[in-house]
Amino acid sequence: MTKRSKRFYHSTVSRRDFMRFLGMGTFVAAGGKLINGPFKDLDEMMASPMAERKLPFWVKEVDEPTVQIDWENMEIYPHMGMTLFNPNSWGGEEGIKQWMEIQKRNIDSTTEAVRNNVPGQSLKDHALADAQCWGWGPTSIEPSWTGPNLEPNPMWEHPTMLWGPEDFGVPKYEGTPEENSRMLRVAGRILGAADMGFVKLDERTKKLLYGDIIFEDVEKGYEDPERHVKVLPNKDLWVICALIPQALNQYGYRRSWGNSNTAAYSRAGIYSNRIKVFLNGLGYQHYGGGTAAVGRAVGFGVMAGLAEYGRPGIMVSPQYGTNFRTVMLTITDLPLAVTKPIDAGIMNFCRACKKCAEMCPSGAISTSKEPQWADWADGEKPWQAKGIKGWYLDAKKCYSYMLGGEPDCNMCQAVCPFSKFDQAVMHDLVRMSISSTPALNGILRKLDDVFGYGKERGTDMWDLDPMDIPLFGLDTSRS
Amino acid sequence: MRPISWIWFWYLLIGYFLGAGSVYLWHFLKERKMRLVWYEWILFILSGLTFIFLGQTFIGSYGEGEIQAAWMSVVFLGIPITLMMVGALRSLSSRLPKA
Repeated sequence: MTKRSKRFYHSTVSRRDFMRFLGMGTFVAAGGKLINGPFKDLDEMMASPMAERKLPFWVKEVDEPTVQIDWENMEIYPHMGMTLFNPNSWGGEEGIKQWMEIQKRNIDSTTEAVRNNVPGQSLKDHALADAQCWGWGPTSIEPSWTGPNLEPNPMWEHPTMLWGPEDFGVPKYEGTPEENSRMLRVAGRILGAADMGFVKLDERTKKLLYGDIIFEDVEKGYEDPERHVKVLPNKDLWVICALIPQALNQYGYRRSWGNSNTAAYSRAGIYSNRIKVFLNGLGYQHYGGGTAAVGRAVGFGVMAGLAEYGRPGIMVSPQYGTNFRTVMLTITDLPLAVTKPIDAGIMNFCRACKKCAEMCPSGAISTSKEPQWADWADGEKPWQAKGIKGWYLDAKKCYSYMLGGEPDCNMCQAVCPFSKFDQAVMHDLVRMSISSTPALNGILRKLDDVFGYGKERGTDMWDLDPMDIPLFGLDTSRS
Repeated sequence: MRPISWIWFWYLLIGYFLGAGSVYLWHFLKERKMRLVWYEWILFILSGLTFIFLGQTFIGSYGEGEIQAAWMSVVFLGIPITLMMVGALRSLSSRLPKA
């Protein structure tokens, strides 16, 4: 048995151990021999050079590719500018003329498709393609308040890339608030939002914005560095709240920083740019920036119904637990159907659970059963805005711990009973029970311990079969 | 590309055990010209459903890398399955025609 397989992670190796346990190893080995003669058993298969990449057994490694290559007469491209995407490669003036004609035909046909709302080539489809295009070429990952400001590249093979409604000569996209919300949810999933909710800015929810955001009677918002303010227009505005998932640290050490939160922050930046390019392509205003540009992420997330407020002072989602990095906030004038806050019994469960508080190495999470109003004097904790009856995280303790020697910590997120991969349907039954039968909450917390959830297993991510790691570290069964 | 996903195999195995058990029971009853009474039906069906649930939980937990959870589910769900099966089989055996 290999060193890795002793760790019982869900790799091909542990499956093999599992099969052996059930006495099925011989059956599978026999099946493998029938289909693929060279291997006598799984051990031999694992020991082969193929095992390094874990190719399917019907895929053979060969010394030469299946396409014939004449290395003696292989031509070398002079430079990137001579690829087919560049008019220089089309051969002299005649070639350039031909290239320009093709470009014009592309513009004409794309414009006609957008004007005629052809399925798959409508304005919103084009806007989504533009959004996906962000990041292709030199760019900054931190969008500005009204940006990103992108210039179409004339050399692109799609000359209408980053064109807006005005360029196509069509009105901006119009839909009912319900249609718009649904459209954004679809685009959000493609652009990196695990879930999405919408909050209308009114007298209450404006208090969740940062204090340096002000409203003026202007047609379009702007940023004023001299006054240190960001300006929004006095009109109907909605906040698009997007849940950005993070890896569950299921395959590495719970507190490893290599595979979890830093990656989610950069994905959040990518999402933020892309959703803004999408809104721009539809003809609507968009405001926001990096992860700390708009306002209280937890506040907006709770109001949008993405999650409930939880014991660690962060959101706890019924589907994702605490296992997401942030709620990216984008303000727009695209009319949206607002989403309501939710009650999945989570705050009640937090009363009984306290697992995050018990496991928190810095003692920053409250252990009191009941949530409380903030009782400190104004200005005493400038990093902690008052106004809710909840469990206030002692953020300074938490942050001091992380900066004071421990390089990173996701413990409260990793051990939360709601933070689970979602392959076993049992988790759904537990969530249903939490929502409908709070009397069982204490027992469910104890069972969470008995079943070994949240325990540090000491699995070294670097020893795993790469194919056992979900892409971007995200749980594909749920994310 | 993942080489082979074995997940189908484990669900096939669950189906095989349930199917084989049902066929055996059907033959057993037919040979002895017996019929199940209502509570035996309930016990057999409930234990079968719980067995499917156990299988899914075990396979799913293994897939999640939660090995302790996989084996604890065998304990927590295996006990009621065993009790239901013992109850149904004892009831059945008590009605067997005496040789």
